[in-house]
Amino acid sequence: MTLFHFGNCFALAYFPYFITYKCSGLSEYNAFWRCVQAGATYLFVQLCKMLFLATFFPTWEGGAGVYDFVGEFMKATVDLADLLGLHLVMSRNAGKGEYKIMVAAMGWATAELIMSRCLPLWVGARGIEFDWKYIQMSFDSNISLVHYIAMAAVVWMFTRYDLPKSYRLPVTVLLALCVYKAFLMELFVHVFLLGSWTVLLVKAVVTGAISLCSLFLFITLVHSN
Amino acid sequence: MFEEASEVFDNMFKSSFPLTFIVFIPAVLILVSPLPAEAAHEFTVYRMQQYDLQGQPYGTRNAILNTEARTVEAEVLSRRCVIMKLADFSYEKYQKALRQSAGAVVIILPKNMSALPQDIVQQFMELEPELLATETIIPVYFAMEDDELLSIYTQTLTSSTSQGSLSAAEVLLHTATANGFQMVTSGAQSKAVSDWAITSLEGRLAGVGGEDLPTIVVVAHYDSFGVAPWLSYGADSNGSGVSLLLELARLFSKLYTYKRTHAGYNLLFFLSGGGKFNYQGTKRWLEDNLDHTDSSLLQDNVAFVLCLDTLGNGDSLHLHVSKPPKEGTPQHQLLKELELVISSQYPEVKFSMVHKKINLADDMLAWEHERFGIRRLPAFTLSHLPSHRLAQRSSIMDVRSVSPSSHYGVGEPPAGPYVDMKKLGRNTKIVAEALARVVYNLTEKGAPGDLQIFTEQMQVQEEQLSAVVEWLTAQPRAAQLVDKDSSVVSTLEYHLTRYLKDVKKHYVKADKRDPEFVFYDQLKQTMNAYRVKPAIFDLLLAVCIAAYLGVMYLAIQNFGVLYSVVRRITQPKTKTH
Repeated sequence: MTLFHFGNCFALAYFPYFITYKCSGLSEYNAFWRCVQAGATYLFVQLCKMLFLATFFPTWEGGAGVYDFVGEFMKATVDLADLLGLHLVMSRNAGKGEYKIMVAAMGWATAELIMSRCLPLWVGARGIEFDWKYIQMSFDSNISLVHYIAMAAVVWMFTRYDLPKSYRLPVTVLLALCVYKAFLMELFVHVFLLGSWTVLLVKAVVTGAISLCSLFLFITLVHSN
Repeated sequence: MFEEASEVFDNMFKSSFPLTFIVFIPAVLILVSPLPAEAAHEFTVYRMQQYDLQGQPYGTRNAILNTEARTVEAEVLSRRCVIMKLADFSYEKYQKALRQSAGAVVIILPKNMSALPQDIVQQFMELEPELLATETIIPVYFAMEDDELLSIYTQTLTSSTSQGSLSAAEVLLHTATANGFQMVTSGAQSKAVSDWAITSLEGRLAGVGGEDLPTIVVVAHYDSFGVAPWLSYGADSNGSGVSLLLELARLFSKLYTYKRTHAGYNLLFFLSGGGKFNYQGTKRWLEDNLDHTDSSLLQDNVAFVLCLDTLGNGDSLHLHVSKPPKEGTPQHQLLKELELVISSQYPEVKFSMVHKKINLADDMLAWEHERFGIRRLPAFTLSHLPSHRLAQRSSIMDVRSVSPSSHYGVGEPPAGPYVDMKKLGRNTKIVAEALARVVYNLTEKGAPGDLQIFTEQMQVQEEQLSAVVEWLTAQPRAAQLVDKDSSVVSTLEYHLTRYLKDVKKHYVKADKRDPEFVFYDQLKQTMNAYRVKPAIFDLLLAVCIAAYLGVMYLAIQNFGVLYSVVRRITQPKTKTH
């Protein structure tokens, strides 16, 4: 029943996106096309990042066991382009206020789902061999959705001209955390040698914390006026 | 959302045709693409023999497999692949698997076969011919053990033994956590190999002194036999015979180069193929030489034919004959010389003549000399085995050679049959001395029994014997695997040309309409073991995912509650500002 397993994983990965789209009221705004545009921007940004990484970063020749902290840190810095891309999407999309965030985040996250998770699921989950990593991949995509929503919210807050001075620092910190989250996760895995389910748990907790903080800041910002 | 989506797709269809291609063709290609295989473990398996001899099929008939793995303790074995370890193998378990029409049997052989205890090796050796005697539909495979295969075995064992003894809840939990394994072989169904040529090699040393000299023929078959062709290395049977023959060729060619020692006998050496399949090589060689050629050494004046079979061990030598030699014949002379040499130089060796009449009603002939006996040529076989039915002649356990100078050193000798270099060297010396005494007529000339000819420069070289046996046991030499271009044949040819003249290759192909032997392919396959979960697991997982999604839905629907909670928490802060 391996097609069934693929169906399981796909449902686990995709349904939260579907539910979020439905329940956030985006469907009333005819935002589908805008989400697709956001997805296209995601593709473009990833392409630029790949070209940049391939051109300017030499391949790591230090052996398999050693973890290249500095190199990976530099590579993670390139992920700042993600923030630029999100900002680009939100500034061009003439959506109303807070819905910009949702539109940008949904489009971005869906594009990431299709590009980086659908193909491995299709190829891997359909095979005879069973592996837990496909279920883990689907959970990971759920976590990514929350992460991108939080990231879009923080970027939106960062670019507001009416952001109070006291909020600058927390917002910047959150921004940095978002960008370097992947790097931090890899660091944890190497230092603590965590199992795959534990990694997922840690990722969920970290993303939850980031999104809660950004929710706090967002609410105080929006309702302080 | 679906209306918007359909709108977008409509636009796509109407506006640009190439766009649809770009979107749809890759999607279709991806949908129909075949799946790449990615197994938990991939290993080589060697199939049991499959051949037809004189129309009678032997061995396993099937070669494809795609079933779940179980061990013998499980209750339901039908259409499953039964995995057994060699140490636990027994005929009853095998019969149980066959009775329940299992899908296949895989026997795991330990890495170090010579470290097995003696009784297990003996038991397996006795079972080998029984396994082959019955024709089975199910394929039987042998695999060499490694860590992953062992872990697969232990996991299958735990899941097989726990079936049927637990409550329903435990079974449910078990299915969620246990790993099943699906064993799949790559490759097609086995089919008969057409036009397989069994190669035999001959070479000669011509005697001095005109035409019509008597000929002595020395024969040994070079192929090996076992329950799995790729695992039959045949150290003692018949690697020892081949190395003894080559050593004899070397010694006598050295003697024959000098005029003083050039004797009045022709020596014909023959390395026959297909020996374990009822001596096919010898049979056809005899037919060709006696029926189809006008003159050949075999037709004129054959003193005797000495066949060498399994001489690498043991403290006894048996000369098997189909008719006791009459007084005054060269056969009798060799018999007497052998007795003399052994009694005076090697009294610890027990020598006897074994007389067995040729029984043409048997499926297989006993020894190689019977082929010559059928054509009325005087022949005997020298062997350390007292009977041709012993399992040591056709076992996969026969892999090793032990010599005092080898890196195995002193220690326990291996459990199965093996070649003891010292004893092989001693047997070579015995045969060489006896032959020399016949060829040079030494007893009539009054030479004493303990006169040693092969000493000093003419010594029997144990390193040479050991090197040949080690080379022979480095690859499997089953008749199905040695074709006319194989390295075994060409190296043997090279060795013979170093010492002998007129080295010729002789081919045997099965007759088209009434083949004496038929070989089948697919003897070595790759088996993949895939980790699988039972079907109920997928359903269980679907239920869990549905529950999770339900919770998600509720959470997202009621996100507003979280929003207002956070707002209430932050509002007092602003009030107090």
